[in-house]
Amino acid sequence: MAERDAERIELAEQIRRELAIENEISSIQARSFVRCLQTTWDVDTIAWGDRDSNSQLSDARRLLHAAHIFQEIQGPESIGAMDCYRRAGELLEWMTRSDDSVRTLVPIEIMASAAYQLGKLPAMASGLLSQVGIEHQGVALYAAFLRADFDGVLSATNNFWAANPDLTTRDAGQLLSHEDVSDRVGSDIDPVAWLFTVELVRSLGLIADTLRTGNVSRFEQARKKLEALDQMALRTLSEDAALIVSLLQQVTESYARASVYEPIKTLAAMNPEREPRLLEFARDQFGRGRGMLWSSQILGLKRLTEGSSFALCTPTGSGKTLVANLALVKELLLRPAAPLVAPLALYIVPSRALAGEVETKLRSELGRDMIVTALYGGADWGITDFWLTGDEPAVVVVTVEKAEALLRYLGPQLIARLSVLIIDEAHQVVPDAKEQTIQRFAEHGSRALRLESLVSRVLTRKPEVARIALTAVAGGAAGPVARWMEGNAEAQAVGLRYRSTRQVVGVLETNPNAANRVLLEIMNGSLLTIRGRDDPVYLPLRIPNMPELPARMRNSLNRFNSTSVLWTAMHLAQEDQRILISVAQSPERLMEWFTEALALDSWAGVPRFERPDGFNGERFDEARATCLDYCGEESFELALLDQGIATSHGQMPQRLRRLMTEMIERRICPVTVATATLTEGVNLPFDLIFLTSLKRAIWDSANEERDEQPMSTAEFRNLSGRAGRPGASRGVEGMTLIAIPTRPSATAAGTIPLQRRQQQALSNDYEELRTRLLVEEGEQDSADSPLSALLRAIWDRAFKLGVGPDQFLQWLEITPAESISSTAGQDANDELSQLADALDELDAVVLAAIAELEEIDDQALSPAQAEEHLSSLWRKTFSAVAAAQEEWMQQAFIKRGLGVAETFYPTTEERKRLYHYGFTPLIGRRFEALFEPIRAILAASVGYGSLDAEARINIFEDIGHLLAADRGYGFRVRASVGDQAILESWPDVLGWWMNEPEVPGPGPKELRSWQRFTSDNLEFRMGVAIGAVTARIWQEGADNALAAPSLDTWKDTTGLPWFAFWARELLRWGTHEPFVAFALSQGVAKTRDEATERSDEYKTWLLAETGKQEPEDLIDPQLFLRWRASLPHTDAAAQAIRTFSASLSGTDGRHDRYSVTPIVRDGSIRWLDPAGFELAFSTDHVEAIPAKAASDDYVLEASASNTRVIRTFGKK
Amino acid sequence: MHNCPPPKDALKDWLKQYPSVEDRYGHLLLEARKAPDTALVDALRPYFESAHLDAREHFHTQIGIDLHPDSDGGEAAPSYPRCLPPTARRGLFGEVAAGLATEAYQKTFLGQHAWVVPIFLFRYHADVEAYLWTLNFDPDRKRQIFGRFGSDFIGVALSDTGEVVRVIAGEAKWRKNLTESQVDGILLGPKKKNKKTGISEHNGRGVWYELNRDTPIPHGLRQLQRLLEARDPDGFAAAILSIDQAIAARDASFPRTNLLVIAGNGAATRSSSEPVIPWEVLPEEYTAPHDLQVVEMILDDGEELIDALYDSLWDAD
Repeated sequence: MAERDAERIELAEQIRRELAIENEISSIQARSFVRCLQTTWDVDTIAWGDRDSNSQLSDARRLLHAAHIFQEIQGPESIGAMDCYRRAGELLEWMTRSDDSVRTLVPIEIMASAAYQLGKLPAMASGLLSQVGIEHQGVALYAAFLRADFDGVLSATNNFWAANPDLTTRDAGQLLSHEDVSDRVGSDIDPVAWLFTVELVRSLGLIADTLRTGNVSRFEQARKKLEALDQMALRTLSEDAALIVSLLQQVTESYARASVYEPIKTLAAMNPEREPRLLEFARDQFGRGRGMLWSSQILGLKRLTEGSSFALCTPTGSGKTLVANLALVKELLLRPAAPLVAPLALYIVPSRALAGEVETKLRSELGRDMIVTALYGGADWGITDFWLTGDEPAVVVVTVEKAEALLRYLGPQLIARLSVLIIDEAHQVVPDAKEQTIQRFAEHGSRALRLESLVSRVLTRKPEVARIALTAVAGGAAGPVARWMEGNAEAQAVGLRYRSTRQVVGVLETNPNAANRVLLEIMNGSLLTIRGRDDPVYLPLRIPNMPELPARMRNSLNRFNSTSVLWTAMHLAQEDQRILISVAQSPERLMEWFTEALALDSWAGVPRFERPDGFNGERFDEARATCLDYCGEESFELALLDQGIATSHGQMPQRLRRLMTEMIERRICPVTVATATLTEGVNLPFDLIFLTSLKRAIWDSANEERDEQPMSTAEFRNLSGRAGRPGASRGVEGMTLIAIPTRPSATAAGTIPLQRRQQQALSNDYEELRTRLLVEEGEQDSADSPLSALLRAIWDRAFKLGVGPDQFLQWLEITPAESISSTAGQDANDELSQLADALDELDAVVLAAIAELEEIDDQALSPAQAEEHLSSLWRKTFSAVAAAQEEWMQQAFIKRGLGVAETFYPTTEERKRLYHYGFTPLIGRRFEALFEPIRAILAASVGYGSLDAEARINIFEDIGHLLAADRGYGFRVRASVGDQAILESWPDVLGWWMNEPEVPGPGPKELRSWQRFTSDNLEFRMGVAIGAVTARIWQEGADNALAAPSLDTWKDTTGLPWFAFWARELLRWGTHEPFVAFALSQGVAKTRDEATERSDEYKTWLLAETGKQEPEDLIDPQLFLRWRASLPHTDAAAQAIRTFSASLSGTDGRHDRYSVTPIVRDGSIRWLDPAGFELAFSTDHVEAIPAKAASDDYVLEASASNTRVIRTFGKK
Repeated sequence: MHNCPPPKDALKDWLKQYPSVEDRYGHLLLEARKAPDTALVDALRPYFESAHLDAREHFHTQIGIDLHPDSDGGEAAPSYPRCLPPTARRGLFGEVAAGLATEAYQKTFLGQHAWVVPIFLFRYHADVEAYLWTLNFDPDRKRQIFGRFGSDFIGVALSDTGEVVRVIAGEAKWRKNLTESQVDGILLGPKKKNKKTGISEHNGRGVWYELNRDTPIPHGLRQLQRLLEARDPDGFAAAILSIDQAIAARDASFPRTNLLVIAGNGAATRSSSEPVIPWEVLPEEYTAPHDLQVVEMILDDGEELIDALYDSLWDAD
C-alpha cells in the first residue's frame, strides 16, 4: 500500500488545487458565495439551478474524500486535509445559508459544520448552526454536538429518553442480543436500525457529559462505542448517513485532543492542592461554551505550561482571554506565595471600556479566587479598592495611563506584589505614522511611548515578573513583542495566523439615483480572486434606491455618500444584521446629517425601529433617560437613539457610553454610529462595518495648515477585526465596506468637477489602503518603536536647527529643555519649542526611571549607578528589540538620563516630587507653584457637604482659574474659533457639566465641542492637577513607602476634608454632589436625577443613624458604604435545593458515585446516566429541577444508608 | 473479506437459467426447479457466512460495548445475523443473492465482465434510516427524510493489475409473492391517491427512479473503498487508488452496469419461464446511460429457505 501513498496524495492534491486554494475561488464558488450573502441579506439572488447545487454538493464530497486521503496518509494534523475540510465547509455553508433545496437530500448544515470542526474553524461551525432552522430532532442533536454545545446535546438526549422510557432499563443496551428483540422493540420491522440510532444517542450523550466533566474512563468507553457504530454505519447506512456518523466520530476524536481539561491537569500538577478548584474552573469553561480549545489556545496553553513569559499572537476573537486567565491562575494561585505578600497581576488594556469588559469576565470566572478590579473612577484609587489592603491575590485591570498613575502613587507596594503582567493588544506599542512625529511627542500624546516606558520600567525593577502579551497578527509586531516579553533575541510569538471567522473587505458603491452594490475584494487578508479570471466579485444589493436628496445635501459628496450608507444600513438592519457606521472624526456632523435625513418626507418609508418589549425595553429606557440627561432633548444623539441608532465617541460621558455599548451588545440598536474608540478591543456584535472615509484631517499647528492623514493599516485592521466576532455577532463572517460614490451626486454643473476629484481621491485612498493591507499580510519581523522614534525625531530636529552629529550626544547631556525655547512646555508650535517639548518628553521617561529606583533604595543614585540603571532599562525597552537599532540611540538615552540626574533636575527631592506629579518635568516644575494654592482651596472646603450647588461649583472654578491660562498643565483647546470661544467661557461649560441648576447647556451642534472640552480639560487636566496635589499630600503624610491608602486612614493621613477625596470623581460623573457620583458608580441609581432623589434617603438614614447631618458626614464615603449595606438584599436564588434523597432503580450501586442527569416523568425525578439508563428516582422536590437541568451536573451517591443525588455544578 | 466462491453445482441443481442479452440490456431469469432442502441450505451456507462475516464482526463489536455504567463488558452473546427478525433477514438475503447471482452467473450477464464482490455492504431499508434523523420510532409512519438512499449492492471488475475497471451497482428486492402489483410497486414506487382524479397511482419513486438518478460515482463505492482500506489495504492497493482517481477526475467515472435483482416466490398465476419484467427490450422507464442487468429469482418456499439458511448460519458456534 505504502508505495501507492504518493500517488494517492497527488490525487488529493489535485482536488485541493482544483477546489480548495485558500482565498482563491472558482467562478461557480464565487456565485455560490454571492448567492449566500444575498439570501442572508434578504435581497433578490442571482440565477442558480439544481445543476449548480449538485455540482457544489459533489465538489464538497470530493473535498471530504481528499481530506480523508490526506489524513489516512499524513495523519490528523495534515495541512492539506485542513484546506479541504475548510473549503468543503464553505461550499456546504454557502448552500445552507442560501436555503438550497439540496438540504432536502442531505442535511448539509451538519456536513458543513463537521467539516469546519475538522478544519479547525469551530467558530464557523457554531456560527453557521446558530443561523439555520433545523426541523428534525436527530439533526438538531448532531448539530448541538458539532457546535460543541454539550448542554444542548444532553438536553436533546434527555428529551429522547423521556419519550422512550422503555429504552432506559438496565438491559436496554443489550436488546439485540435477545431472541425476542422484535417483541421488545414492538415491531417486526428491522429493529437494528432503530437500536443503532438508540446507541448513537447513548454515545453522544455520554461523550457530551464526559467531555464537560472530564471523566476520562467513561469517555473512552463512549468513544469506542462510537467507533464501533461508525464501522457499522459504514456497512449498513447510506453513504450520506454513514458519512455523517463518520464525521461525528472524527469530530469526537478532535474534541478529545482539544479539551481544556488537558492543560488544566498539567497546570494542576504544579500545586495538587488546587486541583479540585482547577477542575471546577475547567468545568465552568464548558458551562460557558468554551471548554473545547481552539488551535491557537492549545498552542498558547502549551507554552503557558512550559514557561512563564511569551507573546500570544492570534487573530481577534480566537480566545486569547482564556490563556490570559489561566496565566493568572498559574501565577497567582499555583505558585507558592511569598509570606505576607499577596501576589498581584497588572492587566493592561487599551481602553477604559475594555477594562470594564475584562473585569466583568474575569470576575465571573475567577472572582472567588482573587480580587478583580478595574479602576473606573476619576481618582487613582477609590472606595472599592480592597485590593490595596487585602491579603488575597488580586488582578488590577487598567489602562496604561492608570497603570502609570498607580505606579507613581503606590509603586513600591505594587512592585513588591507584582507577579504577572498581562498586556492586552500589545501591538499598540508600535506607533503609527502620526505617533512618530515630533509634534505628537511634543504634545505628550503618544500612548505607545507611555506603554513602552511603563513596561520597560517594570521589567527593569522586577525582571522575574511573568509577562504575557496578547497581540494581533499582522503589522510585524508579533516577533518584536515576543522578544520584548521574553527578553530573548530568538523569541518567537506563539500562535496562528488564520482567522477564526471569515473577514471580508470591500467597497459599497453608492450610486446617486440608482441601486448600490457591493464589491468584495479581500477575504481573510488576501485578494479574493476568481480562478483563471480577473473578474471582481460583485454583490448587487437590490434594496430600494435612495430617493434623490435635496440640493443642499447632495451638493456635498461626502454627505451624499454617508447618507447613502445610512439608507443601506437601515434596510439591511431589517435582516438581523448589526451594523456599525464607523466615522474617522467629527461624529457630530454625521449625526446631524443622519438626523436630518431621517426627518425627510421622502424617507418616510424607511424601515423604522421599534422599542423592544420586556427587559430590553427597560434597558433602552434607561439609555434614553441617560442620553436625555447628558445630551439634552434636542440632541442628535437622542434623535438617533429613538430611531434605533446608537452613537458613541471618545468624549461621550462614560456612563452614557457604557449604556450605548449595552444597546449594541444586547442587539437592541441595529445600527451604530461611532468613532474608533468604541471598538478598541471590545467585543461587540457587528456583522457589517461601513466606513465613509479613510482619512482624518489634522491641524498641523507648526505649519498652520490642514493636513490629511490616511487611516493606518493597524487601525483599519483593528476595526475590521471587530466585525463577525465569534460568539458576539451572528458569527461566520464579518464584512467591512468602504463607501465610495460611483459618480458625483450634485447636479449643479459648477459642483460636479470638484465632486469628481473627491470621488477619485476616495478611490485612491482605498486603493492605497488595500495595497498596504495585502503587503503587510506577509511575514514581517520588525516594527517601529516609540522611544527610538522619539530619539530619531529629536535628532532630526536638532540637526535641522544646527546641532551636528558629532555634537549631538554632548548637546543632549548639557542642554536643558527650557534653554531651547522661552515657550517650552507651553504647547507652542514653533520648531524650537517642539524640540524642547520633545526633550521634555524624553526627560519624563528617564526621570521616572531614576526616581523610581531612588524611591526603592531611598537614596540618590550616583552617576555610575544611574548610567548602569539606564543602560539596563534600555535593554528592556521595546525599542531595543523591535528592529536593528543604531548604536547612538542607547548612548543618547543614557546621556540624556545623566543630564537629567546631574544637571537639569539635580536633587533627589525635586525628582521625587516631579515624578509624583505625573507631568513632564518641565511642566511639573511650573506646576509646583500651584501646589500650595490648590492645597489651600482643598483644605478650605470643609463645609462642602452642606453648600449649595453654586457655592460648590465655585470651588472648582477657583481651581480652574489657577489652571486656565497655562498651556502646559492647564486648559488646552484646538485653534478653531469655536473651541477658542469655549475656552473663553469655560466656567459656563463647568456649570453645565457639573449639573448646576438653571445653567443652560449647548445646542445640538455645539454639544460635542462642549463634551470634548469637558473630557480634555475638566475631567482630565483639572482632574490630574487635583490628583497630583492630593497624591503628594497623602505621600507626605504616609509613614512609609509601602503604605496603602484606605478610607479609614485617608483623612488622618492627608488632613484634607472629604471634598478632596471626591473632587475627581465629581468631575468624572458630571455632578457636584458626591452622593450622586457614589450612587451612579455603584449602580444604585441610573441617572443623575434619580441619584439626586435618592440622596434624601441617605440623609434620612444618616439622621437616624447619627442623630445629625454634619457637612462632612453628608459626603463621607464610609457612611455611603454603610448606607448601601443597609439596603435590603434580594438574593433568593441562593436558596435553591441542591440535595435530593433517592432510591436506586437501574443499578446495584456498585460504584458508589454515578454522574446523572434528571428528567421529570410521571411526577417523579428519574436520574439517568448520561448514556440514557435510569439509575435512580426521587419523588420529592420535583419542582426544584430547573428547566435547563441538562446544563448542570448531578452526582448520585449510592451508599446503602443514604442514597441521594447532589447538584455539583449549576450553570451560571 | 468475502472470499468464498459461489456453490455453482448446487445452484445448477436448484435453479434453471433463462439468460438473454439485448443491446445494453441483460436479463436473467432463475427459476427454482425444486423446493429447498437441507442439502441446498448446506451448500449455500458457506457463501452466506462468508458474505456476512465482516458485518458480523462489527455488529458484535458494537453490541459488545454496553454503555451502562455498571457493565463489566463481555456478557453479551448476540448472534448476527441469526438474531434478526424475519423481515430484516429477507432484506439481507436479497443483498447476498445479488452478489451470488453476480459472481455465479457472470458468464451469462451482459458484457461477461469478471465481477467480484470483495466485501458486502448490508443496507438498512431506506425508511428505517429516517430514525436516525427523527429519533422517532413509529413503525406505522415511515417516510424517507432525506433524498436518495443509494444502492443495496456493489461489486467491481478488476484489471489484471488490480485496478477497478468497471462497477456494478444496484438494488436487490425480496417479495414474498411476486405478483404484478408487487413488482410494479418495486419498479415504480408505492401507490398514492391522485388528489385530482381520486385514482391511486404509483408515485414514481421506485427502483427505476433510484437507478436513473444515481451520481457518477455510485453511492456506496466510497464505503467499499473505506472497507478495503481497513480490511486489505495491500491486497487492494491498486483498486483503492483507482477509486481515488475516479473521484479526483471531476466528470469521469467508471464504466458501469446497473443491477436489479428481484427475488421471491412466483405468483400463483405465473406460468413456467415467465419473467416478471419483459426481457426483450430495455424497459422504457429506465433512462440511465449505463448498461442494465436484471436478475429474477423465482423460488418455491423462498421464506422457508431463508429461515432455514439464516437459522443455520454459525449454528455450530
